Amino acid sequence: MKPQHPVQTVRALHWHQLQLPVGLQAAAIKVSVDGLELAQPTFDPNGLVLTFINHKGDLHVRPVGRPQAEEQPASPGLGLLSVATQPLLYRSSAPILFSALVLYIPVAWIDLFIRDNAQFEKIGQILEQEGNIVTCRLGRRQMSLFSAALGLLQENPGDLLSIQNNLLSLLEYFLCNRHRSLLGVNPSSDIDNEDDLTLIREVESYISEYYCSDTFTVDSILKKTYTSYHRLNFLFKSIHGMTISEYIRNKRIEKSKEMIADNAKSISQIAYEIGYSSISNYILAFKKVYQITPGKYKKQIDNMV
Amino acid sequence: MSHVSLENSEPFLKCFEVLAEDKSCIVSDSVLYFSGKTGKGFITVAGIASGIEVLAVNLSQLTEDLTFHFLPSASASSYLLCFDEIDVPGKGDSDLALAQSTEASRQFHSTVSIVDVVKGKTVTYPKDRIIRSLIVRVKRQSLEHLIHDFDAGTISTILQSTGNEATLTWPITFKYRLLLDDFMAEIIQHPFRELFTIRNISILIEYLLQQFFVMNKLSQDGNSLSTQDTHSLSRVEQHLCLHYKKEFPGIEKLSRISAMSPTSLKTKFKKYYGETLFGYYQKNKLEHARKLLDNKVPVKVVATEIGYSNPSHFTLAFKKEYGFSPWHYLNPH
Repeated sequence: MKPQHPVQTVRALHWHQLQLPVGLQAAAIKVSVDGLELAQPTFDPNGLVLTFINHKGDLHVRPVGRPQAEEQPASPGLGLLSVATQPLLYRSSAPILFSALVLYIPVAWIDLFIRDNAQFEKIGQILEQEGNIVTCRLGRRQMSLFSAALGLLQENPGDLLSIQNNLLSLLEYFLCNRHRSLLGVNPSSDIDNEDDLTLIREVESYISEYYCSDTFTVDSILKKTYTSYHRLNFLFKSIHGMTISEYIRNKRIEKSKEMIADNAKSISQIAYEIGYSSISNYILAFKKVYQITPGKYKKQIDNMV
Repeated sequence: MSHVSLENSEPFLKCFEVLAEDKSCIVSDSVLYFSGKTGKGFITVAGIASGIEVLAVNLSQLTEDLTFHFLPSASASSYLLCFDEIDVPGKGDSDLALAQSTEASRQFHSTVSIVDVVKGKTVTYPKDRIIRSLIVRVKRQSLEHLIHDFDAGTISTILQSTGNEATLTWPITFKYRLLLDDFMAEIIQHPFRELFTIRNISILIEYLLQQFFVMNKLSQDGNSLSTQDTHSLSRVEQHLCLHYKKEFPGIEKLSRISAMSPTSLKTKFKKYYGETLFGYYQKNKLEHARKLLDNKVPVKVVATEIGYSNPSHFTLAFKKEYGFSPWHYLNPH
């Protein structure tokens, strides 16, 4: 699909390139354009290219020369490792604020510093499959390294050592913390950290076990899992799209709906059994979820029968 | 007292042979562990592939002094960079220990230095201390490769101008301390050892150069400090770094430690370390907090851990220093 906005040509976008003292090559770009179609600078084909990107807008990435159908959406704050023979192409059909740092790692350098390492072998295996990209999300520490290196490369390229240190730290982080490959994993999920996922699973099973008890509170989860309320809420929002209290409420109301359908208990009884201490609270909550009061719902079911 | 002598042409790894002979040490995979009879900790060698040799020493409770002689070699064109942090165990606990250690710390204090291998260097690690030290042997060529030609030129000019000693020495700052901490904690089991080493050495060299140019400028302006002042200031610096979990000690206590007047302490500290006393204390404290946050410790726990009674005070201070709150640091997206 052709973008409707006027697109700045690729040539007009300028990569700031730099040779680092340790033998790596770096390039940086920061643009704000209406539409983007940008290829990475080409390097010597023997080696790997590690790119860090950050952007505001909608961004897709694919290796140059691959069909557009293989494009992957890319989330902001990402590191992408690819082979130098297949430079990546970044495309956006909407206005975008895009910044990227490219680090070229020659094969000699890999032999010297990284090879002979179980973790790297795994990464290498994934890369060997054609068109594959290995990705890793950046944390705040890495984001600040990223923006520091980007600023220096553009404005103060003489400060080689600082640029090099920021990039080496990013490289080390990438190799140590890579969690998943971009391909084959749902990119819309914001959580890719295995620790976080296990935490969420743990909390979910805890909730499903205790949510009907009237002494159950979010606080008791926090104490049990040693997390903060904000952190847990953040994780829940990224996975379930709702806060943790909303999640608990929905679970309770769903359960109550089933109980109403069973038609064995009165509504007030149900309210107490699923852990509500007052009926009006329960009715309000029910109404929020299903836009109907439990009494009316009961009547509807009765009528249907 | 055990001695290890090394020629410039000999690899650092050779010192293991000497040490393993007369000590009860275990050598495995380029790490030499002290078993506890003569000391605790390890010595390791890294960075062989990159041509920047690193000898990392992380020892405590040595029963006798340990000395490394790096023999002078006229034909060598290398530098030795030394980053030493030497602490007295238990010193943080009382002022008495501080007073007692004053004599000793005059002799062995935490420093960073650059030496031309032509002159050789002797490094002594005293017994009964906590020692964290990195000795980096780097070819002049590689160092010049690592930094600007101009900077490298300046360094060699200045090293030559110092005459016989050919050593530049400065007191250590909290940045080095933090990096040495990290380095010693991870070097042994880091999956990318060589990469980790080059990264850390590169950062250390950056710090060293920054300090070098600040000090160089100060001495050009006629502001160089006397040895006495340097020791006093580094005692204050060490106190601030060690006691980051406690409240800021206050200018009076610091001026007692340094035996300087409050005013001259303030001005000299600022000139030498580029930060006010409180600013330095605060920066170090928040760096510790940031490291805890990197390990996913909850914000509340971090605040208590580094000595804040109120988490929101911590949040405010953190935000002031880094421009984002601890919460946003944990969840950047």
